[in-house]
Amino acid sequence: MLPLISIVLATLALGTVGTFAAGTRARWVALGTSALFLAEVGLLFAGFTGWPGYSGTLVPGFSYTETHPWISLAWMHIDYAVGVDGISLIFVLLTAILQIATVVYSWGETQRPAGYFGLVMLTCLGCVGVFVALDILLFFLFWELVLVPMFFLIGYWGGPNRRYAALKFFIYTHVASIVMLVGLLALVFYSGATSFDFASVYAAARGLAPVVQTFLFLALFFGFAVKFPIVPFHTWLPDAHVEAPTGGSVLLAGLLLKLGGYGLIRWAVEVLPSGLHSVQPLLFLIAFLSIFWGSVLSLAQRDLKRLVAYSSINHMGIVLLAIALDSSLGLLAAVLLMFAHGVVSGLLFMASGSVHHQYGTRDIASLGGITPGAPALSTMIMAGGLASLGLPALIGFPAEFTAFLATWNGLGYWVLIPLSVLVVTAAFYLWMMQRMLFGETKGGPPDAHGLPWYESAGMGLLVALTVLFGVLPSLLVNVIVNSPIKGWPGT
Amino acid sequence: MTELALTGFLGLSAALVGIGIFGILTRRNFILLLISVEIAMNAAILNFVYFAAFPSGTHGLSGQAITVVLIGFAATEVAVGLAIVLALNRLKGTINVARATELKL
Amino acid sequence: MVLGVLIAFGEMLSPGTYTNVQITWLHLPPAPGPFPNGFSLVMGTLVDPISSLMLVVVTVVGFLVMLYSIGYMHSDRGLPRYYAEMSLFLAAMTGLVLANNLLEFFLFWELVGVCSYFLIGFYYEKPSAASAAKEAFLVTRIGDVLFLLGIFLYFSTYATAGPDGGWAANGFVFAHNSVPFLPLPGANTTTLTIAGLLILGGAAGKSAQFPLHVWLPDAMEGPTTVSALIHAATMVAAGVYLLAVASVFLGFTPTDQLAIVAVGGFTAFFAATMAVVHPDIKRVIAYSTISQLGYMVLAIGAGFAMVGLYHLFTHAFFKALLFLAAGSVIHAVGTQDLFRMGGLKKHMRLTAAAFAIGGLALAGIPPFAGFWSKDDILASVYSQLGTHPLYWPFFVLAFSAVFLTAYYIFRAWFLAFSGDGPRDPTLPAAHEGPWVMQVPLVVLSAFAVVAGLFVFVPGFQHLLVQGTVLGGIPPTYPATDLALSSISVALGLGGIGLAWTLWGNGRVFSLAETSPVQPLRRLLLNRYYFKAGYDAIGLRAVYPFARATDFVDRFVIDGTVRGLERMFGAGSDRLRSIQSGLVSDYAAYVVAGLLALFVLLLIVGPYLLGRFGGG
Repeated sequence: MLPLISIVLATLALGTVGTFAAGTRARWVALGTSALFLAEVGLLFAGFTGWPGYSGTLVPGFSYTETHPWISLAWMHIDYAVGVDGISLIFVLLTAILQIATVVYSWGETQRPAGYFGLVMLTCLGCVGVFVALDILLFFLFWELVLVPMFFLIGYWGGPNRRYAALKFFIYTHVASIVMLVGLLALVFYSGATSFDFASVYAAARGLAPVVQTFLFLALFFGFAVKFPIVPFHTWLPDAHVEAPTGGSVLLAGLLLKLGGYGLIRWAVEVLPSGLHSVQPLLFLIAFLSIFWGSVLSLAQRDLKRLVAYSSINHMGIVLLAIALDSSLGLLAAVLLMFAHGVVSGLLFMASGSVHHQYGTRDIASLGGITPGAPALSTMIMAGGLASLGLPALIGFPAEFTAFLATWNGLGYWVLIPLSVLVVTAAFYLWMMQRMLFGETKGGPPDAHGLPWYESAGMGLLVALTVLFGVLPSLLVNVIVNSPIKGWPGT
Repeated sequence: MTELALTGFLGLSAALVGIGIFGILTRRNFILLLISVEIAMNAAILNFVYFAAFPSGTHGLSGQAITVVLIGFAATEVAVGLAIVLALNRLKGTINVARATELKL
Repeated sequence: MVLGVLIAFGEMLSPGTYTNVQITWLHLPPAPGPFPNGFSLVMGTLVDPISSLMLVVVTVVGFLVMLYSIGYMHSDRGLPRYYAEMSLFLAAMTGLVLANNLLEFFLFWELVGVCSYFLIGFYYEKPSAASAAKEAFLVTRIGDVLFLLGIFLYFSTYATAGPDGGWAANGFVFAHNSVPFLPLPGANTTTLTIAGLLILGGAAGKSAQFPLHVWLPDAMEGPTTVSALIHAATMVAAGVYLLAVASVFLGFTPTDQLAIVAVGGFTAFFAATMAVVHPDIKRVIAYSTISQLGYMVLAIGAGFAMVGLYHLFTHAFFKALLFLAAGSVIHAVGTQDLFRMGGLKKHMRLTAAAFAIGGLALAGIPPFAGFWSKDDILASVYSQLGTHPLYWPFFVLAFSAVFLTAYYIFRAWFLAFSGDGPRDPTLPAAHEGPWVMQVPLVVLSAFAVVAGLFVFVPGFQHLLVQGTVLGGIPPTYPATDLALSSISVALGLGGIGLAWTLWGNGRVFSLAETSPVQPLRRLLLNRYYFKAGYDAIGLRAVYPFARATDFVDRFVIDGTVRGLERMFGAGSDRLRSIQSGLVSDYAAYVVAGLLALFVLLLIVGPYLLGRFGGG
């Protein structure tokens, strides 16, 4: 069988180098790479159980696995080990979708396009690497690789306060990474695993004492949670989003935040069950706090991007809640939610970017009645807002529904907290739309030259997917459940 | 040689290091500093010689070899050091190290 | 429309012909945890007596309103948007009616909600329309959240206890032709009571019942056709439909029933009082809708779901008729203010007649449609008065609302149509609309006259009785109590008489400024200050709270981060100062480090080793 995952990584790596070298034609190289990547992901899906039309028998565990010795010592192996299960495959798909949408959306980027598109490629390479790595060191390598391009994307292409935001982002996530690295290394060495490979660490971690598991879990959780981000380690996020260029924001919200959730599921929840069990109340508390905090703060924001950023905190709080429930349904909900949030927040950040390009400001209070001047843009914002507040037939609904159902089953009436926050979520999106899209047009259209085709195309792609997966969530669910976790069919 | 003799030799080395460090800490004249460094270094070189001979023959010639290399080092070090002295003198008109603080942030 | 009516006729003739079709929407395979058998969420259709009744309403009224729109909306821009949204609404409403499980019901429930949001905000340039749309969505959203929680409660209660191995495997499908789940083993009565109350909350949001009623009058900012279709005949009735479906398939506990009766009875009266003083023709009808929905809720609470649905059925026709007639008036004179109109019957005979028929139906005058269904409701509640002493006050409230209803609707009619001419001479000359606007008026008028008589058609009666049987209630249709009917008709006629005395023939009754009733009038005009109160909660409590949280976020949490940053910055500044550039200083540090190393290796290290005996 073809080593498909290595081909994917090689495609992205070559694409990155090619884009950097391509000068003014960088966008074409980037588009070609993204398209090729998407096609390869299609191939991955075509051979994966659970995708409609596939009739192969169920293969337990990971598919497309490849293992090549990398560093061999007498007492320790570090391998180049990659492979996907349902969960990682969904995230690889998300990466492919957001990459191509970002490249198309940013078609008009004129400021050093080679660097811009190259960094976008590199970010996606790092994310895919994180999602497919089955070796702790490889995982960490890709994890850190993601930071660098994002730092430069914010720091060079960002807004007026970009240096501060980029540095804040970098320091925050890097400190978290270091704690996580300590946790990962401690996991390997304390468990007595003889290799950094996922399977052997997973097997060896069974024997760890609950106390040790708790400490390891906390260390890993801290590392992943800052990426999430959770309250109170969230303040890098609004700054980073506000300052980042649109493409950077899309990748940041769509992919980087998912790294935390994915890492938590892959390397902490299943590997350290007793650890999860003992810190569960803490996780619930943090999750509720994040849900509440993100939502209420969104209500107070005047900057469209800040609003979407805080709503991300709210959504990722629900993800954390769903993961912390430690149930089959909760896990499904968490993955669905992350996918949904990736697509929808990407859409909303693109829309905010377009608002900024068109009107020169993102201040909700100074905008008003933009619908007559820019009906397409207004439609996109509405689609994003409605999807984000969990309207049925759009992607957010199956995710939120399963999440709340799982919460109800796990926690009973505590579900009232996230449920009542739904009203607040609806309130801030609707209020934003009322003030910005409807009512009398304020100040006249300063620079309304219509939405460029590439921006509409990028957003249109995401809207289409929002509807597609909202109407047919089983396309995703049947893939997700083929994972060796929680006693699902992939086990 | 005996244990006692070794103790005595090591005592000599210790004294030389002490003198060297004292010189390094108190002198401001670059040349005197260099001399102090050399004295301290010679203490280390002497140690190699003693231990190469104790107990005799077991270590082959490695101690002596290192000693020769170190003497070479010391020579180059002094050469570089004196070159710096000349350069400093040309630049500042003095060889007082307290005046050479350009590396301070 | 034709299809919908055909299906309904089929159901009348041979129940159960249309079995449900379903597809799996989301499937979680068996896995350890709360759902050991895994579970499926399915999407399917179910045609039964209840849904076929509703289907007729949706398709017939939908078709007529669309026809009317061709004339009413012809000069509006954004027509493609209008028709697209209306079509989406009709599709979603049909889906809601045919849904065979609670989740699917909820899905379409939200979809009709968002269509309503779009259509209320159709004239989005008007800030009041945008605000009303948001308000409608938010208030119903509160109901939706309650509804969702109710679904969870039912789901987890029946996940193991329900038929067919539980809902979990079955995807909370309404069991076809089965008794309510209520008596099933494993169902906790307290949980079921709470679940029932939550469902009531959801229905109250959608059907604008007290205290979530505030959005419906404001929803009149949308085009009148939208008000006729969505905010009179179909979507607002979805809440009633939900209650009916829930009472048939899920069952309510006695506590729930009392709560439903209380909400319904109180709303019926409460909304009618507000309609009495309002000067806006559409809002008067909107309050009357709330009030009529209250009647339906009341009937369902008393245990007669099909009676409630019967009133829903007749009400859909005469209320759509009233709205479309009002639409004709607005189309002709360009205002909604009753006090500027007058004498319109000269130029708009058809509209005046249609409005009068609708009014008579609403007032419950025989033989018009409203009489039969409203009378059934009062009779059915009356027959249940022995169940609980607290039913009495709500019955009385609902009964007295009959009088108010007749009064306010004829006050509107007299103000608009009677008299010599418009009170505001600047109004344009009135004229009838084009034929596409007249045909629906005629058809709906016909329905408003005869829809109540349907109950004497055997097939239709069969439908109602079948639905009642589904609910597990013996198929004794409430016998019409002649005395009760007479009183209610007398009350209705009295209301009309009062309206005639005060407003008839172009009279304008004005209350003296010093009248002791003035404060009451102001209270009613201000809608009991409910809206003001909700706005105050939003603007004076929630938003400042959010701003305060934002302040905490920026200055306390982020402030801590910045403080840490400054601390490190200042610390490194201090550390920097030891880098003097003096070689001898550096040498001293080297020596100090050396000494520290010696101490560590020669003293601390051996001590620790000796103490803890490590290898």
